[in-house]
Amino acid sequence: MIRRVLFLAAALAAVCFVGAADVSALQSPALGQQNLRPYWHVFAAYAIVIIVIGGWVVSIGRRLRQVEDRLVD
Amino acid sequence: MSTAGVRRGATGFTLLGLAGLIGLFWMSFFWVSTEVNQGIVQRIFYVHVPAAWTSFLAIGIAALCSGVYLWLRDEKLDRAAVCAAEGGLVFATIVLLTGPLWGKIAWGTYWNWEPRLTLTLLLWFVFVGYFMVRNATEDPEKGKRFAAVVAIVGAIDIPFIHLSVIWFRSLHPEPVVAKPDGPTLPGDMLATLMVGLGVFTLLFLGLFLFRYALEGLRSEADLRARRPAS
Repeated sequence: MIRRVLFLAAALAAVCFVGAADVSALQSPALGQQNLRPYWHVFAAYAIVIIVIGGWVVSIGRRLRQVEDRLVD
Repeated sequence: MSTAGVRRGATGFTLLGLAGLIGLFWMSFFWVSTEVNQGIVQRIFYVHVPAAWTSFLAIGIAALCSGVYLWLRDEKLDRAAVCAAEGGLVFATIVLLTGPLWGKIAWGTYWNWEPRLTLTLLLWFVFVGYFMVRNATEDPEKGKRFAAVVAIVGAIDIPFIHLSVIWFRSLHPEPVVAKPDGPTLPGDMLATLMVGLGVFTLLFLGLFLFRYALEGLRSEADLRARRPAS
């Protein structure tokens, strides 16, 4: 009797283990796609474009003003 | 063309480019369809690829002007080369910053030492070197000549960057537009990409002309500063 119960418990545990492994394998990529990380990366990339091009515009503007001041002096 | 004329042209191109940038952002976020395999992160494509194209254009102009400068020794060509090189460095910086953000989601890593990424980083370092060489020499004329050689050597890297994904086993995807069979992108994605290419080119041309006007004024100021002493 005990031997039969242990066998059933072991079989049940094995089924649960295999099932759990399958479920996690199926769920992890799907859950991974549901988070907001890709959105943050897209926003960061577009922000970088604005910051770098804006920085170049400001840098050229400052240098132009400095040279114009030199020419006025 | 006079400095005032250059600045008028620069203002026109830059304003058009900035308006186009707003349009491009709208298209990227609200109009174009989401790519099936990569999802939302593929939208980085619409700024990453145009920035790469613009950096190649800028560096090509820098190399061309440098080559002709070495031949003719015309100061205007050197001025154009330094302005284009600065633009090339700015847009290459955008490429190197936006690419890893895309790569982290698509490949699971920010950086990989595969051929295209490595060659692009090399190009960036070559053009950082361009400005270092230019400013490191005591004789400015010598610095200009050395920098011109660096620009030409740097530009040789561009075809290798383009062909590296075809020649070598690479993590980076192969070209989807500039290939012999023609573009393989869906229509709305291709349209958004083309708008991106136009907008980044306009922005580069506008800011290149502003930078060129700045170089012209700077040489005028240097000339005036030298005049009383001589």
